[in-house]
Amino acid sequence: MEDYKFLFKIVLVGNAGVGKTCLVRRFTQGLFPPGQGATIGVDFMIKTVEVEGEKIKLQIWDTAGQERFRSITQSYYRSAHALILVYDISCQPTFDCLPDWLREIQEYANSKVLKILVGNKTDRDDREIPTPIGEEFAKQHDMYFLETSAKEAENVERLFYEIAAELIGQARSKDGTSAAAAAAQRQSDGGGSIGLGSLSAKAAQGNCCGGSNSSSNGNANPNSNSSQGG
Amino acid sequence: MSDDLPEEFDLIVIGTGFVESCVAAAASRIGKNVLHIDANDYYGDVWSSFSLEAFIKLLEQPSNSLRNGSYTWHKSTEQEEQPVTSWTRESLLEKSRRFSLDLSPRVAYCAGSLVQLLIQSNICRYAEFRSLDHVCMLYNEELVSVPCSRSDVFNTKTLTMVEKRLLMKFLTACNDYGEDKCNEDSLAFRGRTFLEYLQAQRVTEKIANCVMQAIAMCDANTSFETGMQRTQRFLGSLGRYGNTPFLFPMYGCGELPQCFCRLCAVYGGIYCLKRSVDDINWTDSELLVSSAGKTLRAKHLVCAPSQLPATLATHFGESEPRISRGLFITSKPLGNEELNKGGGGVNLLRLLAANGEREACLIQLSHYSGACPEGLYILHLTTPAISADPAADLADFAAQLFETHASQILLSAYFTIAAPAAEGIANADTPILCTAGPAYEQDYDAAIENARQIFSQLYANEEFLPRAPDPEEIVVDGEDPSALNEHSLPDDLRAQLQDLEQAAQHMDIAD
Repeated sequence: MEDYKFLFKIVLVGNAGVGKTCLVRRFTQGLFPPGQGATIGVDFMIKTVEVEGEKIKLQIWDTAGQERFRSITQSYYRSAHALILVYDISCQPTFDCLPDWLREIQEYANSKVLKILVGNKTDRDDREIPTPIGEEFAKQHDMYFLETSAKEAENVERLFYEIAAELIGQARSKDGTSAAAAAAQRQSDGGGSIGLGSLSAKAAQGNCCGGSNSSSNGNANPNSNSSQGG
Repeated sequence: MSDDLPEEFDLIVIGTGFVESCVAAAASRIGKNVLHIDANDYYGDVWSSFSLEAFIKLLEQPSNSLRNGSYTWHKSTEQEEQPVTSWTRESLLEKSRRFSLDLSPRVAYCAGSLVQLLIQSNICRYAEFRSLDHVCMLYNEELVSVPCSRSDVFNTKTLTMVEKRLLMKFLTACNDYGEDKCNEDSLAFRGRTFLEYLQAQRVTEKIANCVMQAIAMCDANTSFETGMQRTQRFLGSLGRYGNTPFLFPMYGCGELPQCFCRLCAVYGGIYCLKRSVDDINWTDSELLVSSAGKTLRAKHLVCAPSQLPATLATHFGESEPRISRGLFITSKPLGNEELNKGGGGVNLLRLLAANGEREACLIQLSHYSGACPEGLYILHLTTPAISADPAADLADFAAQLFETHASQILLSAYFTIAAPAAEGIANADTPILCTAGPAYEQDYDAAIENARQIFSQLYANEEFLPRAPDPEEIVVDGEDPSALNEHSLPDDLRAQLQDLEQAAQHMDIAD
């Protein structure tokens, strides 16, 4: 079994073409994918990072193109610990859509989810959204703010490392005011849910009335996507 | 909004219910170019889950597939000696978004067709489940938990020592049954009922009830073979996850179609909600869909019965009542403390009425299911429709539940789920493949079979939802991720697949 202390789910939203996929791939693979081709068959990327001496597995989810016609499944937002809302600093309409995205986030995501506003494409010289405008919007809506360039690898590492550090802080504090802490709490009080990835372990115990000593609260397995080690 | 929707597809799927979403995912997974649209602004069609507010609005707007809706708010009748937070209509509506109210709720067997499909296709990574806490039965008007595991049987206070032994012996016999096909019992009871078999084992009335009501889920006329298969299906799902053989999807069953849609999108499927279809025409080689002033073309078309354009619906026959549903929000769970440890169980109960000739299924959800706020409970009551009056269809069952079990109902709602009859769909003379709509069943066997059958009609020799590789396994740039074969799977997954295949052989449900 893999060795990590926490697993966090981070999801990205924002208009098509703002560079969500590029941010993810720059961070997880260190490359900037040329061209607009959709990444068929890839729906989330995983990267293990070390923050404050702890190994943390980040599961970073992309929209799979469902944002194109504003048809993102609600389930995409479920159990996210952090949510990155991205716009393109060289494209006013992508900024103007932010309130729509916030409405959707409010509707479907956990109310305690960590929210980060990201202005991407700082490498472009046709900027339309000045930094203070983005900053102000983030402040108003209780979000962290960062400008990035997936192309130049600017602030991309920083973005994800800061999210990881913040989530660890929340998970440790366990004051129940954050999604990460709530998830950690849920695990320990036995209200946990099950990811089906844990089948093989349980199945080995045999079925029928024989040796069925599994716990009544269905512990999530650290190997499953939904759970959180630790 | 600028409409840059492409106009040509291999497959257009209309409606995002469970069956349609399965077909869309399966087609996209094998490289077909899929457009998936829905007239609604939500996923799932009649398989969806709703916030409280949206649910009430839905009941007020009858449609072809959802009708006879009604709801009543009840004053809390909390006794004065129990000064618990009293819920009102306003306080419930304030928490509207914390509810996921299912139109078509159901539980899945831990080794059943849904779980197998989710694992086999790797769609399980999009879903989380809650293991059911108790499978219950009504015995002498009392709600009791049916012991599932060996430790349950050992610990239960419901049964006497002798009964425990008898039950264990019976279940062990059922579990071993079939290993020896020429077994005396199978010869002796061929063509007889399961009840006769049970009686011949000289079990007590209470055990017979346990088995008939909750484990084999039979009635007096169920054949020996079917009863045995069902018992084995129950036993084969034990010990996998949690304490009972059942799972319920976290946040409601409406999540499931979305999981399939996500896979479809990941493989390039295009999604467009709030997109209604005005008309569908066809030539010898393609179908033409008129939608929002645009003509979309596809080689094949799959459509939910609820979303057929009016001009075409008649081809598939009148839509008729199929499932009668009751939905109750209460501030007190059903049954005693034992059944509701830690703030309420997610429980299952099968009810019988009219001398065992009719049945209904009750699913109780507590906040552990993610489908309602803490301190409240959702009771989903489902029965095959026998009339256009869901409240009347369910009256016998509701009486069994609520007359003797005070339950503090805050909201009661009734509605009918309707769909064209199977013959109508089968005999329609169009190239449109219409899905069947929800049926009354445990698990998703019929729904998955429907999707499989439509898929094989479209793509005869293709595999239905082969495993999607995990992100770690995908070599980006240049490599084809679908080139992965079973031998390149990690050991644990290979073992998992083998387990499943074995489980599948043990529990095939023939009918």
